[in-house]
Amino acid sequence: MFSFKLGLKNLTRQKRRNVITILVIAFAFFGYLFMDSVMGGIEEMSFSNIKNYDTGNIQVVHPEYWKDREKLPLENLIYINQDIVDSIKNLDGVLGVSPELRFKANLNNGIDEVSVLGLGISSEQYNEVFATQNYIIEGSMFSTGESKAVIGVKLAELMDLKVNDYITLLVRTKEDTFNTIDVEISGLLNAPNPMINNGVVFVPLDIAQQGLNVGDGVSLLALKTASGDEDKIAKVLMDSFKNKDLDLKAYSWRESAESVIAFSTAKKGGAGTILSVVLLIGMIGIVNNVILSALERTAEIGMMKALGMREWEIVFVFMVEATGIGILGGLAGCLIGFTGVGLMAKYGFVDYSAMGVDISEFGLPIDKIYGTWNYPAFSFLFILSIMVALLSSILPAYWAAHKDPVKAIYHR
Amino acid sequence: MRKVKGFLLIGIIMSILFSSIIIAPALEMTAEEIINKRDDNEYIISIKAEAEMIIVSGGRKITKTMLILSDKRNALIEFTNPQDRGTKFLKRENDLWMFFPDAEEIIKISGHMLNQGMMGSDFSYQDIMESDKLTDLYDFKIIGEEEIDGHPCYVLEGVAREGVKVSYYRRVSWVDKERFIGLQEELYAQSGKLLKETKLNEAQEIEGRWIPVDSVMENKLRKDTYTGFKIVQIDFNPEIPEGTFTLQNLR
Repeated sequence: MFSFKLGLKNLTRQKRRNVITILVIAFAFFGYLFMDSVMGGIEEMSFSNIKNYDTGNIQVVHPEYWKDREKLPLENLIYINQDIVDSIKNLDGVLGVSPELRFKANLNNGIDEVSVLGLGISSEQYNEVFATQNYIIEGSMFSTGESKAVIGVKLAELMDLKVNDYITLLVRTKEDTFNTIDVEISGLLNAPNPMINNGVVFVPLDIAQQGLNVGDGVSLLALKTASGDEDKIAKVLMDSFKNKDLDLKAYSWRESAESVIAFSTAKKGGAGTILSVVLLIGMIGIVNNVILSALERTAEIGMMKALGMREWEIVFVFMVEATGIGILGGLAGCLIGFTGVGLMAKYGFVDYSAMGVDISEFGLPIDKIYGTWNYPAFSFLFILSIMVALLSSILPAYWAAHKDPVKAIYHR
Repeated sequence: MRKVKGFLLIGIIMSILFSSIIIAPALEMTAEEIINKRDDNEYIISIKAEAEMIIVSGGRKITKTMLILSDKRNALIEFTNPQDRGTKFLKRENDLWMFFPDAEEIIKISGHMLNQGMMGSDFSYQDIMESDKLTDLYDFKIIGEEEIDGHPCYVLEGVAREGVKVSYYRRVSWVDKERFIGLQEELYAQSGKLLKETKLNEAQEIEGRWIPVDSVMENKLRKDTYTGFKIVQIDFNPEIPEGTFTLQNLR
């Protein structure tokens, strides 16, 4: 008890140094929590971009198509049978089904040509699954049968196009023969997904099917489901396809976005290394503090040993002092972090669009970054701070406590 | 006088009959025969050539020079102009590879990349890949006769055969009646839109064959752009060392 009290009392003896150490730890923790929140926010937005503007929550495709999906083949398509679509639509948790025909095309404005991804969609069904239509900033979406197209603003800028201009999509049919789809631009969109803004041309599904000679074929059915239920619904779908002897498979958005997830994990790994360095700085503060205390109090330690205090009691005194710094630093860090992350989650990081900067040019899918809460990170940091403070104090404290009392008193 | 008139009449009839005997085979040539005869002229079995590609786009003119080695199925093109020196293309059967000396990497050109213009020209990679006989790919018919630059021509229309993979659904060719060489050709998409047009500027008779040595291709989907192709020198049946058409030789 005496050692404990002495340890606590020692905390107040070098106020300035201890406060600085506590602040170092606090800011190191704040930096960690802030960065973690920003990265979590970016990741969450990337994933919601994939779900809301690219893949939907689940994709139903032919397994052979899935293997080659990056090449956008016109083989192994799904031939729409309304019964199948209805049976999927009627499943619990399925909120919408959108057939899509994906194809490669060269967009031609009469002067230049650029390679784009063509998306044949049925606009009504597409709106049930994707939020893209909310981002049409000029003109409107087309209806079935209209020779019209919707493109992203970035693509329109690049090709010097505006609403009511005519474009030609040069495509290859299923038989690999050149064909053209001539359409009028009915709308321009500025979606939060840079891929949509930069390189996608939406055309009515029937116009695309006709131009590509694929009959009623579609590349995939994109499904919107309740978030988090993807795996469960995908399994139900797979069982149903098996029972109906259909050569179809259901893949959740995670499987579609494998590469994005892998990239995100790798990015997290890299950022984790940087954040570890930040944490290390805080920990070095604690170790430094204990060593300085031990050096300053060598004579005192010698005196205490001469008066009969045992080595482990002296070590305990230092451990209490260091742990106190760890607890206070951890608490302060978590408190500042809590405030920072709270502000980030509510108000966002920086509104780039207000500044007139388009960060999609740098590969970021959004114009404002919102932070995410990662509660385990708070408890992890707090416990880590106590543990490191405790453990890092043992060695210097033991070094001080182990000294011969006479030599310690005379600083030898 | 009546006798003279009689001889004249006989002479005219004789000459009509005689000329009809000579002209008849030409008139009766089928579209397929005409295309095959043109192919006999233009279809290359084995060559070594030096050529120039003049790319004109939006007022800019770029000239690229190249060496071409080709046999019946394979071809190797090496660019020799300073900007692209060392860039090579290798066509082997139905595959195409490219080597960029700066990247020191061999890239296979496939899928949608084949639709892109070769080195920024109006010739797509797919265009240079086509080496099948046209009569195997298209059903041709004669749709008329016209004159181009004083040369009487057959106008032939080829429509892609069912089940055959071809880039252009329809092509209309103007074939010189005397030299059996293509003077002009239009290539259409399935939608009926004109995609490309080639015109012959000059043909030379080399070793008994009429060879197009200066022609121009226009991408009709784009304004103010065309690509000229000139053969500076050509040798038929050259000696091609073994291993010329290999990926090892591409580096």
